[in-house]
Amino acid sequence: YVSSSNAGGSVSGNGRHSSPAGCGGSGGGLSGGLTQPAGWQSLLSFTILFLAWLAGFSSRLFAVIRFESIIHEFDPWFNYRSTHHLSTNGFYEFLNWFDERAWYPLGRIVGGTVYPGLMVTAGLIHYILNLLHVTVHIRDVCVFLAPVFSGLTAVSTFLLTRELWNQGAGLLAACFIAIVPGYISRSVAGSFDNEGIAIFALQFTYYLWVKSVKTGSVFWTIGCCLSYFYMVSAWGGYVFIINLIPLHVFVLLLMQRFSRRLYIAYSTFYIVGLVLSMQIPFVGFQPIRTSEHMAAAGVFALLQAYAFLQYLKDRLTRQEFQTLFFLGVSLAAGVVFLTLTKPSLPPLLRYAKIHIPIIASVSEHQPTTWVSFFFDLHILVCTFPAGLWFCIKNINDERVFVALYAISAVYFAGVMVRLMLTLTPVVCMLSAIAFSSVFEHYLGDDMKRENPIKQHPFYPVKNSSVYSKLIVTMLMLMLLMMFAVHCTWVTSNAYSSPSVVLASYNHDGSRNILDDFREAYYWLRQNTDEHARVMSWWDYGYQIAGMANRTTLVDNNTWNNSHIALVGKAMSSNESAAYEIMKSLDVDYVLIIFGGVIGYSGDDINKFLWMVRIAEGEHPKDIRESDYFTPQGEFRVDKAGSPTLLNCLMYKMSYYRFGEMQLDFRTPPGFDRTRNAEIGNKDIRLKHLEEAFTSEHWLVRIYRVKKQENRQALDHKLRNIAAKQKYTSKKVLPSRFH
Amino acid sequence: MWSGGAAIFVLVSCVFCASALADGLVNEDVKRTLDLSSHLAKITAEIQLANHGAARVNSLTLALEAELAPHLAFIGASVKGEEEEDEGLELKETTLHGQSGKFFEAQLPSSLAPGAKLRVKVETVFSHVLKPFPSHITQAEQQLVVFQGNHYLYSPYPTRSQTTRVRLASKTVESYTKLGNPTKSEESIEYGPFKDVPPFSQDDMKIHYENNTPFLTISSITRTIEVSHWGNIAVEETIDLRHTGAYLKGPFSRYDYQRQSDSGISSVKSFKTILPASAQDVYYRDEIGNISTSHLQVLDDSVEVEIRPRFPLFGGWKTHYIIGYNLPSYEYLYNLGDQYALKMRLVDHIYDDQVIDQLTVKLILPEGARNIHVDTPYPISRSQDELHYTYLDTFGRPVLVATKNNLVEQHIQDVVVHYNFNKILMLQEPLLVVGAFYILFFTVIIYVRLDFSITKDPAAEVRMKVASITEQVLTLVNKRLGLYRHMDEVVNRYKQSRDTGALNSGRKTLEAEHRTLTNDITALQTRLKAEGSDLAEKVGEIQKLDRLEGQGHFPLATSLTFCFPGQLFSATRLLIGNLDSLLSSVETKGLFLLTSPDTSKHLSISSLHTLSLLILSTFSILHFSINYLPSTCQSGT
Repeated sequence: YVSSSNAGGSVSGNGRHSSPAGCGGSGGGLSGGLTQPAGWQSLLSFTILFLAWLAGFSSRLFAVIRFESIIHEFDPWFNYRSTHHLSTNGFYEFLNWFDERAWYPLGRIVGGTVYPGLMVTAGLIHYILNLLHVTVHIRDVCVFLAPVFSGLTAVSTFLLTRELWNQGAGLLAACFIAIVPGYISRSVAGSFDNEGIAIFALQFTYYLWVKSVKTGSVFWTIGCCLSYFYMVSAWGGYVFIINLIPLHVFVLLLMQRFSRRLYIAYSTFYIVGLVLSMQIPFVGFQPIRTSEHMAAAGVFALLQAYAFLQYLKDRLTRQEFQTLFFLGVSLAAGVVFLTLTKPSLPPLLRYAKIHIPIIASVSEHQPTTWVSFFFDLHILVCTFPAGLWFCIKNINDERVFVALYAISAVYFAGVMVRLMLTLTPVVCMLSAIAFSSVFEHYLGDDMKRENPIKQHPFYPVKNSSVYSKLIVTMLMLMLLMMFAVHCTWVTSNAYSSPSVVLASYNHDGSRNILDDFREAYYWLRQNTDEHARVMSWWDYGYQIAGMANRTTLVDNNTWNNSHIALVGKAMSSNESAAYEIMKSLDVDYVLIIFGGVIGYSGDDINKFLWMVRIAEGEHPKDIRESDYFTPQGEFRVDKAGSPTLLNCLMYKMSYYRFGEMQLDFRTPPGFDRTRNAEIGNKDIRLKHLEEAFTSEHWLVRIYRVKKQENRQALDHKLRNIAAKQKYTSKKVLPSRFH
Repeated sequence: MWSGGAAIFVLVSCVFCASALADGLVNEDVKRTLDLSSHLAKITAEIQLANHGAARVNSLTLALEAELAPHLAFIGASVKGEEEEDEGLELKETTLHGQSGKFFEAQLPSSLAPGAKLRVKVETVFSHVLKPFPSHITQAEQQLVVFQGNHYLYSPYPTRSQTTRVRLASKTVESYTKLGNPTKSEESIEYGPFKDVPPFSQDDMKIHYENNTPFLTISSITRTIEVSHWGNIAVEETIDLRHTGAYLKGPFSRYDYQRQSDSGISSVKSFKTILPASAQDVYYRDEIGNISTSHLQVLDDSVEVEIRPRFPLFGGWKTHYIIGYNLPSYEYLYNLGDQYALKMRLVDHIYDDQVIDQLTVKLILPEGARNIHVDTPYPISRSQDELHYTYLDTFGRPVLVATKNNLVEQHIQDVVVHYNFNKILMLQEPLLVVGAFYILFFTVIIYVRLDFSITKDPAAEVRMKVASITEQVLTLVNKRLGLYRHMDEVVNRYKQSRDTGALNSGRKTLEAEHRTLTNDITALQTRLKAEGSDLAEKVGEIQKLDRLEGQGHFPLATSLTFCFPGQLFSATRLLIGNLDSLLSSVETKGLFLLTSPDTSKHLSISSLHTLSLLILSTFSILHFSINYLPSTCQSGT
């Protein structure tokens, strides 16, 4: 009875088994649903998806467990602030919100300059929960939104992969996307950013698109449009969809795979999707104006023309058709020409944009290195070409789509680190296909031997030995295991720091929390005037608005370059020149980040050259980058540093009274731990500013801009009017006037 | 000569008072202590009262100066008994005609006979009476404050003799009034004794001295107590804190603050809050998250939280925070049937010598509490009751709201709330959850069972019909496989017992069953054929295989009975092997043929490694989180 390996409950016992040796443990009593393979199948898929959701959710909680339920980084603070505004003031107030606390004195029309999807999603969840009297704070909704949506992303990836390949690959893909670091980097608990929900919307839109191309049903296409609408409301990356889907259609046309299904799907998608996307205030008329959307329009026209020609082909004679065909082709060529000439402009613009300092200064806009590909995707980056190859070998309409998706995403990910995010889902899907095929081959061989029907013609059906099967399977399992370990390690060490709270570890392993940011922001919130204006570099704008609730001059929504340049100029000028700028901007406080005491490398002195560059871009006469370097071309803060640097406002504010401070006995006073140098200007005196607050580890320093002093008394004698008795009233004692 | 003049004054004033007080009480000996060592003025007077009148006296009147009265936070009077047992007196505010100030009437426990004496201790606490002067200081300067009061005891009765002792916070005194040539020692000033002071006499006392104690004031506190009958009482205090000492002038230098010990000496770095001993899950946070600078110490009789605001509080600086904790309800909630009584502190300790400008207490009782009745230790103004909705509430929990201004440590007293609560209501919340899940599953069942499509798809219908028939076939095939296995058992048993009768009867019943099953399958096969499905052929194939096997099986088993034991063994082995391979072939074939190709086969393969992958990742996550989980409590406290 050793080999009678009945699959679990496929034998329904009839209750008359008497011998224990009879039927090894397959006790009856499993109810009807589970005796059917379909029942098992849905139960298994459900369980696996649920576990994937759970694993994805819990692996994103490192930061919450180690620190607390807090919003991370910079942009999420703005999102949180606006969600808070939405949940307290309602949707229409949010749409009409003019934020006078940002970009002083310009202000910002928030409702028209954000993708509201994220805020509306969080606000809606909060509203519904509160309607059911589940009284969670809006902050907790925001913190846990991205992990919850990662589960939805896993489900939609499963659906998409199932459409592309099969259910097994879908389940694998769902597991991959749940824990892959490339996606976790943007969706840990607390990272309340657009990408957190946008990847779900992206995958779901693609799923519905594939479904509608497969079925040619308007129902699925409308679903696709609604999902696209959600994506447009959530992230600027919707442009990726509106270019990829037309590309898919175009390539299908080229491959002569035009069908009625495709025609229905794309025509519906383009029209309804276009109208829906224009409902988002921030997008407005862009879909019919800007070149990024023109490819979609061009393909729409081309598809109509193609369909029309197909229709005519049945009705006309060959002769008539030929003339019409040439006419049509020239027309189509014209349309294509129009669409191609226009987009040729923006890539150039975008290329130029990279050389604008303000865009180049952002670290996530740097090109991706090979290391980060492996770091974020691990083994998947090696296996996904195999999956792509399987798809191309066995091509059909939807596999064309995934191939295009993969190729374009790889290109974008190479351009910018940030776009690694769009690559991750397709890599997960294709790797899942590769792994699934390999397992299918090496685990399911004995079935094939007895079933000579070649279901997968690209597999050479050969009788691999048990050992080779075993070795390959073990190897693959090892890879997957390493992948899981790597994912957890990366998530835990690289992507789970709130960056608002820093932690350091002592020699005995105990933890020190450096809570300087919140210390200083909270000081601003509590102990400055409610309408005080705080000048800082733009990186901290959102945090100041969110945590300190004070007016800022510039923030992470870097829409006004000249304003940022003005702040950069103030920071890089000497104190009196800076004072003039600050006076003109009504600045009350200046906030800087200084890491010299604890060795924090992301401080303002290290960012200083970007400030100089951006200032130079707008004020080339006043600020020159070369002035801040030594004659040898070095950027130094010690005695050898350039005098311009040693006397600029940023330097003075960073090192004010730092020259007296001796951190330990091995180093001289005023030793900067971040740059490992003894500062060059130790005797710093401020004339127009005074220290208002410095946090415990000196990480944040806030200076108060002094009001102008009273004018000095004029150097002449006061008028001496002799009190004439006749003018004074008798009722008042005259002595009081003297 | 001074005493003579005073005597006349006393006479006059006695005549004057007679109409107002109508008793002959005299303060024989008064010992006043002014404790100005903190930011409060605590004035204690021990008075020896004597009844010099003719009638018995039932009550006495306490008076406060008009200048100090608005700052009064607490007043308490007690009678000193012989056995050192103080008996508190109940105070009622009254007015005295023609006199300024604030007056309280205290009922004596027993009336005072003419000529009898009584020792009374009056305790008063005033807040915000120490005024910083200068009002703005730099970080390096010391904080100086001025106290303005009265040299004498303000009393409606004449005083024979009194002394006043002032306790200060430090040795440094800028100036003080010199009435009666006071003596100044280390940290105190002694005035008096003053003899024969007439009633309502006032003489300005002014002391300007150094006081670096933290001038912390709670400008407002909202204390929310939420009672759950599931065994928990949640307490949360939202506190606005302000340093009401001299304002900080000029810059705040962190360097000086870190390097010089006397820099910012009047600032507040931290303070201790004492929570009840059973307090659990303490959290300390504000609008932007957990405040990581705090320590929690669990002592035998209390839980001490060392609260460090995010930043040191200098004069004029303020902060805001929330502290909360849970208490087990059995320590505070008492019941008798459906009647409940909650006994909790109305306000609790926040820091030593605390001053609360405004207190709001919100008591959230369980949903369905009725007949609410509150016993407060001191008068407190009740606002309109509110309703509070939290998890699984339907009609809201009653919230009692009460407010009071100007409280000090002496106000840490218990409040008792009585209410009725029907225990059946406890079931409401679990039932709600059960109901919600019931509805959810029911909806899913309905959705799965019913067809909501608006178009008819004949192909799909046929497909579904075929699928249902195939399922039936599959069950039958499985049953038939079970029969074969039974046959084996019967043979096995026969092998041991050699009971031909049992074998034959077993065989007969099995054969009968087998026949009916095979017939059923054939019937289904014809139905499949009727639907036009090619699966019918595959069912036919199975039937063929089964026939083959059945022929091999049943006759063989019968013939075995007549074989030799040795041959029997090997034959059985052979048979079993044969049977097994047949079984598995039928089985795999059956499964393989009957299920549509793209459904189940990947499942057993891919799902296995997916599961293992998932389990692995879950394990590694657990592993990592255990490794990195901080040993300290989550709230950082």
